[in-house]
Amino acid sequence: MRAPAARGRLGSAATYAFLLGLLLIVVFPFYWMTVTSLKSEDQMRSLVSMFWPSPMVLDNYRQLLGRTDFVAWFGNSAVVAVSSTLLATAIGTIGAYALARLRFLGRAFMSSAVLITYLVPPAILFIPLYAQIRMLGLADSRAGLIVTYPSFTVPFVTWLLMGYFESIPEELEESAMIDGATRFGAFWRIILPLAAPGVMAAALYAFTQAWNEFLYALVFITDVKLRTLPVGLSTFITGDVYGWGYLMAGAVLTTLPVIAAYIYLQKYMVEGLTAGSVKG
Amino acid sequence: MAISTARLPGTLTGQPRRSGLARWLGPDYRLGLLFVLPIVVLVLALVAYPFGYAVYLSMTRKYVGLPPVFVGLENYVKLTGDGFFRRAVQNSFVFTFGSVAVKLVIGMGMALLLNSHLRFRSFWTGVLLIPWVAPTVVSALNFLWIFDYSLGVLNYLLVRVLHVLPQGVGWLSEPGTAMASVIGVNIWRGFPFFGISFLAGLKSIPAELYEAAAVDGAGALQRFRHVTLPGLKNILIIVVLLSTIWTFNDFQIVYILTKGGPGGTTQVLPVFTYEMAFGAQRLGEAIAVALYMLPAMAAVIIVLARYMRRGRRA
Repeated sequence: MRAPAARGRLGSAATYAFLLGLLLIVVFPFYWMTVTSLKSEDQMRSLVSMFWPSPMVLDNYRQLLGRTDFVAWFGNSAVVAVSSTLLATAIGTIGAYALARLRFLGRAFMSSAVLITYLVPPAILFIPLYAQIRMLGLADSRAGLIVTYPSFTVPFVTWLLMGYFESIPEELEESAMIDGATRFGAFWRIILPLAAPGVMAAALYAFTQAWNEFLYALVFITDVKLRTLPVGLSTFITGDVYGWGYLMAGAVLTTLPVIAAYIYLQKYMVEGLTAGSVKG
Repeated sequence: MAISTARLPGTLTGQPRRSGLARWLGPDYRLGLLFVLPIVVLVLALVAYPFGYAVYLSMTRKYVGLPPVFVGLENYVKLTGDGFFRRAVQNSFVFTFGSVAVKLVIGMGMALLLNSHLRFRSFWTGVLLIPWVAPTVVSALNFLWIFDYSLGVLNYLLVRVLHVLPQGVGWLSEPGTAMASVIGVNIWRGFPFFGISFLAGLKSIPAELYEAAAVDGAGALQRFRHVTLPGLKNILIIVVLLSTIWTFNDFQIVYILTKGGPGGTTQVLPVFTYEMAFGAQRLGEAIAVALYMLPAMAAVIIVLARYMRRGRRA
């Protein structure tokens, strides 16, 4: 403001330098993963054409798709993440509306329970949950993951959307109900459409959480064909050069759906992230 | 609609007469309980019950496939004297506080810069958030490859391109660098959450406060201390406590990068729990490991929950 222009220019140069440095550190691993996935084993082994593959080859992708269980794992991840997201979003949306808006016995208690549940770490629950899943005959099945993932996605979705519903003016429902709408009708036709961006953000986060989940998938699934992507990929760690090529190809294909969704829906996700923990 | 309650809120119509039970249950109890029921079932079945079962199992001697034998607090007592466990506790604290402290500093820098006059602000914000949305396993695998001793790009850069090291370092395989390396990966993944949350907080501080401080002759540092920090206090506490819980319980990064090695130098509690349960097959003791820190964690969770609720009401 009062600083001379030269100092301001210097300050903004330092700002861009810091941001650029951060940007490089953030982007490099993804660049490196992509470059690696397009190299031949020879290029990797002899440390040639380090930063740009020449020639660029698709051998790793062919190997990955043709000779590993990657396609099956991708399918498993998709089925598990989509199903558990739909389940969690439905449960979380109506629950959040009730906890944010309706007055009934136990509401305050349940609001606290949801928040506490959101904060309880999975590392405490995975062993007893595994015992439960086995008892129900759901060990080694995608269904076992679909029913357990809501244990962390539902509290998150509910907490995020409670904040969203609270920010919608109550008068909208009140006037709808004066016009003869039922409580449910007011929710369904007035509030839910207004909350759509929030529901969208919540669903996206639930999806990425389910898509990325590792510990439960590692513990509950032993059948190689039923693995999800994160666990499947990590079993590619063999230490030899050849493994790195198709491992990185798999990493690229695992990241793509998440990054694509993120680029497309960045605005919702940035808002959702802050709404999840703090008032934005 | 069968589930409608069709009642106007009391504020509009005055409190309608109701039977004692309905008043006790609240004006919207039918739709309310119906809508909350799935969450109640879920919390009971997937969190409360397993949690209770975990507490019970931690007081038993339990091997996979055999019935549990009740032993009271024996597992906890044994752990207290166990050198491997104590080292895992110590490592967990180093890992957690090391990561959170650096994430706090980088996140604050990121937020302050993104809040200043900046071209392409949404581009910077968007790109810097990527580590937070990308699958953690992918990031961990990327760094495993970057850190590789013989073919990794980090050693290539430091030795052959920049010539700052005479020979490569086994980043993850040498006791001296392994912990710093896994902490680095955790920071890389977690700092955007700090940055973006602080940015949201900065935007909510009224500009008049800064103007008033500037009129009073406050320099940049003083403005940061007396306007920015107090304005961010709630968010700061929430983000730090949230990250502390998440980092303390981070399993994937350490499991994929080192599995607790070399020689246990990066062994943290979640990985220790997993290995005791599914490597050594000693379930009772494994759960005792997971629950040992629960009183401390519960205290953090309760404080955090209070701040998060207050943040909502503000």
